[in-house]
Amino acid sequence: MEPSTTPSAPITPSNSKRILCIEDEHFISELYARALTKAGYDVKVVIDGQVGLAEAKTNQYDIILLDIMIPTMTGIEILKELRDPTKTSPLKSKIIITTNLEQGLQGRAEIESQADGYVIKAEVTPHQLVDFLSQLQV
Amino acid sequence: MDHFKQLQEQVKRYLFAVMFASNLIVIGAAWAAFAYLEINVILALAGLGVTALVTTILLSGAATRYVLEPLHMLWQAILHISPGYTGTPAPDLKKIRLGRELITSLTLQVYQYASQSDSQDLTDHRNKVVQAANVVSHLPLPMFVFNKQLLVTNASDAALEYCQIESAQLFGKPLYESVQLEFPSELTLEAWISECQANKVTDKAYWERIRVRLPGDTGAMRQCDMAAYYSKDSPSGTEVIITMFDRTAQYDQDDQAMGFVALAVHELRTPVTMLRGYIEVFEEELGDQLDDELKDFMHKMQVSARQLTSFVNNILNVARIDENQMSLHLNEEKWDVLLPHILEELAMRAKMYGKEIKYVPGANLPTVAVDRVSINQVVNNLIDNAIKYSGESKEIIVTSSLNQEGMVETSVKDSGVGIPESVIPNLFEKFFRNHRTRAKIGGSGLGLYLCKALIGGHGGNIWVNSKEGEGSTFTFTLLPYSKLADEQKTGNNTDIVRQTHGWIKNHSMYRR
Repeated sequence: MEPSTTPSAPITPSNSKRILCIEDEHFISELYARALTKAGYDVKVVIDGQVGLAEAKTNQYDIILLDIMIPTMTGIEILKELRDPTKTSPLKSKIIITTNLEQGLQGRAEIESQADGYVIKAEVTPHQLVDFLSQLQV
Repeated sequence: MDHFKQLQEQVKRYLFAVMFASNLIVIGAAWAAFAYLEINVILALAGLGVTALVTTILLSGAATRYVLEPLHMLWQAILHISPGYTGTPAPDLKKIRLGRELITSLTLQVYQYASQSDSQDLTDHRNKVVQAANVVSHLPLPMFVFNKQLLVTNASDAALEYCQIESAQLFGKPLYESVQLEFPSELTLEAWISECQANKVTDKAYWERIRVRLPGDTGAMRQCDMAAYYSKDSPSGTEVIITMFDRTAQYDQDDQAMGFVALAVHELRTPVTMLRGYIEVFEEELGDQLDDELKDFMHKMQVSARQLTSFVNNILNVARIDENQMSLHLNEEKWDVLLPHILEELAMRAKMYGKEIKYVPGANLPTVAVDRVSINQVVNNLIDNAIKYSGESKEIIVTSSLNQEGMVETSVKDSGVGIPESVIPNLFEKFFRNHRTRAKIGGSGLGLYLCKALIGGHGGNIWVNSKEGEGSTFTFTLLPYSKLADEQKTGNNTDIVRQTHGWIKNHSMYRR
């Protein structure tokens, strides 16, 4: 599904895919936004959990990069709400958890059952993240 | 005179009469032979002998039957009341000719004792049953009793209370209809019971950190220890008894400790992420404009950032292993592709220290079952050690081959300082560092401990051959994927999730 098929989506150059990056570490979001924009994605950065949730619910994004430790609402809470059919109508977005926070086995299993990917930020450079996202079927 | 003496007198009189009669007959016969028949002496004596023999045989038979009759009656009375001889009639005491009083009194005593012990046994038995039921009922721990079909036949009040369930919902049904149990290894309760049913008469087992979900539970699972007892074909019908000890609070506390490590790791990783990101930007966008010295500095920054990442991962993984929170996602991988790829990433680090990694690939390697991230850490740690301990030598040689047991064997060889024989047995222990080199060469003492746990989790082995002053060769083995898939009987190419302590379940998932 291309953004151009969504009437509410603003017109973006080069038919690019849209990414919502919910990330409160400014340096990291800056690096990701830079690398992703260079790779042709249209990137919006949000640093707050609740704002991020509202933005995600607009269903304008092909990919959502979701950090876990963010203000006002954790990434896990956002993920749960986005995947709960009583609260959010199904999204076209692929949700990728991007975090440096380790989960216990149970927490991890819960995330993995709901998210489309899980990336430890310290393990990838921005360039490698771009490569990873380009392999997603969006 | 008591009855026994009376019997003795009777038997004596009887035997006296029999012997007297026998003697009279023989004397009479002798007298007749000499006085009337005038037979010669030899013939007369022979006749007397035969007469004595026949008389004795006849009389002794009759005497035996008569004398033993009381004993027979008594025997019949005992048989009559024995549970195993139900067909025997009661003795007719009126027919006793000898010692009637004694036998009548003895028989009555036997009957009396028998009826007494009967009722005593029954009372005892009833008491024991009531007592056992009381113990089960009032035991202040959740306890479940199963029959041979593994249906719940009894449970303690504490079990019903713990599960918040009525006995009707629990009894006569398999336990897992109400209680969900997850085991940390392949030895589940059911696997243990099957093993017992096949090979044991009685057995006991104990599990730690079982995850439990009770009816009505939502959210995180409880964590329990569990003890079980098995008894084959027990007459009481009780085949298995289990008791659970809820340790949720304690284990959660442990997990919180894990939470502290996770938090520290998070705080360390965040700056590393940024460093790696910015270094990458510089390298990509300035790379061409830098002179050789600056390029070298750039590489050194990159290598250092990566080194910090792997150190952080080592800490995290050791904590995970210790807390039983480590799981491996084994995938089918081409080792002759993956290993050179991992080594390539390490080449720069080696180069920074003036070392070169030389890879000698083996022929016809089968695909292996590995968790990419973990095996990367294993190779990382081994190469890291080789760099640190290779001394003056320049070359680190990595080889892979298929060994005789059908395992894929990989060796990392350096020609450095080597390891004294005395420290080799402790080398894979946590925090172990060789006292001779620890002052000169840095390290956490976690790397080899981690390698051993991770390789063990892969179903392989790791060991070292070393001679002081000549270098060390670390070797580990990995299972070919086909072998693992056979073991798991999955037959398909989904991940196999494995904990460092054993299997949990097949699970299709991804990992970076």
